[in-house]
Amino acid sequence: MDLEKLKNEAEKEVKKAKNLKKLDEIFKKYLGKKGEIARVFTSLKKLSKKERKEVGREANLVKIGIERLIKEKSKKLKEETRKLKLRKERIDVTRPGKKIEAGHLHPLTLVQREVEEIFESMGFSVIQGPEVETEWYNFDALNIPKDHPARDIWDTFWLKNQKLLLRTHTSPVQIRYLEKNHPPLRIVVPGRCFRHEATDTSHDVQFYQLEGLMMDKNISVANFKAVIEEFLKRFFKTNIKIRLRPGFFPFTEPSFETDLQCTICKGKGCSVCKNTGWLEIIPGGMVHPNVLKAAGINPKNWQGFAFGAGIDRLAMLRYKIEDIRLFYSGDLRFLKQF
Amino acid sequence: MLFSYNWLKDYLKGKMPSPKKLAELLTMHSFEVESVVKKGNDFVLDIDVLPNRAPDCFSHLGIAREIAAILNSELQAPDSKSEEDQKLKAKDFVSVEVKNKADCSRYSAKVISGVKVKSAPKWIQERLKVCGLQPINNIVDITNYVMLETGQPIHAFDLDKVGKKIIVRRAKRGEKIKALDDKTYQLDGDILVIADQKRPIAIAGIKGGEKTGIDKKTKNIVIEAANFNQRVVRQGSRKLKLRTDASWRFENGITPELVDLSQERVASLIQKIAEGKVAQGLVDFYPKKILPKKINLDLNYLEKLLGLRISKQKVLKILKSLDFKTSEVGPQRIKVGVPTRRLDVLIQEDLIEEIGRIVGFQDIPSTFPRAALISPEKNEELFWQRNIKNILKEAGLSEVYNYSFMGEKQRGIFNWSKGDLTELANPMSSFNRYLRSSLIPNLLRNIKDNLKHFDQIKLFEIGKIFIKKQNLREKKMLAGILTRKGIKDEGFYELKGMVDSLLAKLGIADVWYDDYRQTPELSEAEIWHPQKSAEIKSNGEEIGFLGEIHPKVMENLDIKERVFVFDVDFEKLLKLASEEHEYQPISVFPAAIRDLAILVPVGTKVVEILNKINIGGGKLVRDIDLFDVYSGQGIPQGKENFAFHIIYQARDRTLSSKEIDEVHQRIIKALEENPAWEVRR
Repeated sequence: MDLEKLKNEAEKEVKKAKNLKKLDEIFKKYLGKKGEIARVFTSLKKLSKKERKEVGREANLVKIGIERLIKEKSKKLKEETRKLKLRKERIDVTRPGKKIEAGHLHPLTLVQREVEEIFESMGFSVIQGPEVETEWYNFDALNIPKDHPARDIWDTFWLKNQKLLLRTHTSPVQIRYLEKNHPPLRIVVPGRCFRHEATDTSHDVQFYQLEGLMMDKNISVANFKAVIEEFLKRFFKTNIKIRLRPGFFPFTEPSFETDLQCTICKGKGCSVCKNTGWLEIIPGGMVHPNVLKAAGINPKNWQGFAFGAGIDRLAMLRYKIEDIRLFYSGDLRFLKQF
Repeated sequence: MLFSYNWLKDYLKGKMPSPKKLAELLTMHSFEVESVVKKGNDFVLDIDVLPNRAPDCFSHLGIAREIAAILNSELQAPDSKSEEDQKLKAKDFVSVEVKNKADCSRYSAKVISGVKVKSAPKWIQERLKVCGLQPINNIVDITNYVMLETGQPIHAFDLDKVGKKIIVRRAKRGEKIKALDDKTYQLDGDILVIADQKRPIAIAGIKGGEKTGIDKKTKNIVIEAANFNQRVVRQGSRKLKLRTDASWRFENGITPELVDLSQERVASLIQKIAEGKVAQGLVDFYPKKILPKKINLDLNYLEKLLGLRISKQKVLKILKSLDFKTSEVGPQRIKVGVPTRRLDVLIQEDLIEEIGRIVGFQDIPSTFPRAALISPEKNEELFWQRNIKNILKEAGLSEVYNYSFMGEKQRGIFNWSKGDLTELANPMSSFNRYLRSSLIPNLLRNIKDNLKHFDQIKLFEIGKIFIKKQNLREKKMLAGILTRKGIKDEGFYELKGMVDSLLAKLGIADVWYDDYRQTPELSEAEIWHPQKSAEIKSNGEEIGFLGEIHPKVMENLDIKERVFVFDVDFEKLLKLASEEHEYQPISVFPAAIRDLAILVPVGTKVVEILNKINIGGGKLVRDIDLFDVYSGQGIPQGKENFAFHIIYQARDRTLSSKEIDEVHQRIIKALEENPAWEVRR
């Protein structure tokens, strides 16, 4: 057969092919085992050596040509088919996503972690202590004498037939830690505390406190201010304003209340700050020499600050929660929001 | 305590700030002012005097002194002059005997005769009302007025109703007194009284007696200004459940030195207002005079503690304005004499606080500490706690924080004996009578509450429980709970899967489950379903329990769904957990799967079959996967069919199918050693 003609016919057919099936047929017809080109090669046997070489080379060229044509056409057809198919495929992107049922961490856990991380980044170690305490650690060692009205500040749960109590604050851990560790030191102590008092939206029989203690040679009120300011700034992720005013705690001297300018109304006055523009947030002071003595530390050599932040209160401000009792309700309608 | 703005103004030389401004200054330098309310032409300031300052600031003079110091102004003391009648001598009318000076460090009596009892002048009445006291008559009102002014409680007796001798003593058991509030109080040896030779005439430091009170006919009076032991007054006041303006002040402590000024002031006012004649002298029991304390103040330490330099001149000025006496004993040292009324000032740090707050704590700059760079210690317990919480959250459990308490009702439902529980001496109500000895009761309460709103509930809690043995022990526990509408035994396996995956993620390998056995130490308590519960074991010891809650408990709690719980000892978990994790090389040689079905009697445990497969298969068995459990149609009565995928793989070669067949046959042989077991072919 005339190779030139063969090539032309193949070209024409490829051009006309409308789909991959047809193209496949064309491939078989020309390039298949029994196709036209194969036949040309078979017929070569009959030719002289010289002709054989010449025709063979030409047939090969034609073969390669047709192959390329088919390949190109196939690519084109596939592209067209895909486009056609894609045009028909679609999803409704506005339908709701499929929910993955993970659980939820408690808001106090979330806030506690955040607070711990901030203090850890400032070099404070996180320490824990017991929830049931002796009178010595909870009161006496903290310079709160027996039968003194100062004790009335801490309404206390006592255990029956035992001289033990439920700790009213995390401060006992100051003593426990100082007995075993020597300054310089920096610790924070998160933990559950208890008060024997009527409950309302801002008081419950149990709550979480974070005790802080930093001791060194020259730790001052100015240092307390800087550390607390930095903590509050990072926790509320905004520029905050604080003020220090006099307070009284038997275990610190001087003692102060740290007020935070209300994060809700920015100091203008609202229900959260009872229209004062300020929130009493972190009581603290310089550790009283009697406390250091009780823990076996010489107050002539070491000084430092201590404070106690309410974790429930921080969480309430963070999430705008109005009732502290929700934390201990186990109500999933509440917990699932965190 | 309530204070009158106009009254405070009287004591101040110079200009008084507006009530609002005053409130702000007091809040920042002394005490928080909780409210300012206009009342007539006066303002009431509700000042939250700090407990340590009660001795000097439960009084208008005390607050005025604060204001003077803050404003750098001066205090103007009230007039306290009276004229004593030379013909009358106090000691001719009364004598005083104090039985125990520890109960009463000072007792003074002043005698005034010929008083005219009537209403007090309007200005006194108004001031009392502003401060929340009801006017009664001029004599009583003056004693109250002076108390609000100086902080010294004062009592007036009708001299003619009192015997000649005033005795301060403990009450005798069985004695009683009708007080000015018309109530009769039973007394005993814990209560200190003022008595004459016959009977108690007042409860010392708390309330006067009705019989010796001032009435319209009263002519001659005895004015008492005394100092009673604060603990004794506190004890008496608690016992009688009677708190008064006087008891409140004695409880917090005042100095006996306050007596002189107060007696003079009362006498001066009574002379002016009730026209009495003041008898000469003060009958005064005061065996040990209180002298001012002396404290050395080191200005270098002051700067070191506050982080702020304050000039010596300024320090001296502030101390003087607060009535401290000062003398310089070195370039940076001041000797300070503390006014006796300042019972709160005992050490140098107390003086530094005085200076700090008058300067203003808000004026101290924020300065970061300079300290050695020490990285914080890692808290292993919290590290694992954070991890565990995250794992359980991802597994679909939500975290709860329950109360650390249990009630009497819960004790009954779980059949705990009282002796095993830690009881509170002063619970709020029956809800918190005991400390919780398990996390489970409160978790079940969560289930009950939440079933009202949810069809499926999965919760966990990490918290302390309290175990009463010889000593009370706190123990941290981890518990999880699961239920949903119509849940069956699969709940057990779901929870078991969660425990397995938790333990695996904590790096605890070696874990198995044994049938639950009631331990003798749990005595009679009923929590777990006896047939559907397991002990979780690792490393040779029990680390917790997993199972269904006892149907009896569920019935008593009125929870309709079945509930599954795991309860694990957190401390044991912590000991087993390990961060070490070694990479297992992935075999490059292909794995082959053979299935195996086996017919066993009902009640046969999967773990028994798995053990046999592992023994027969050896190390070429990489994994075994139970994919079907079937009984019923086509299976003989009393039998169950288990179907497993067994995955064979070697580390070092491709297993030939001949090799796999051989191992598989060994497994079948091992299984069929038990005549009741039949591998189905």
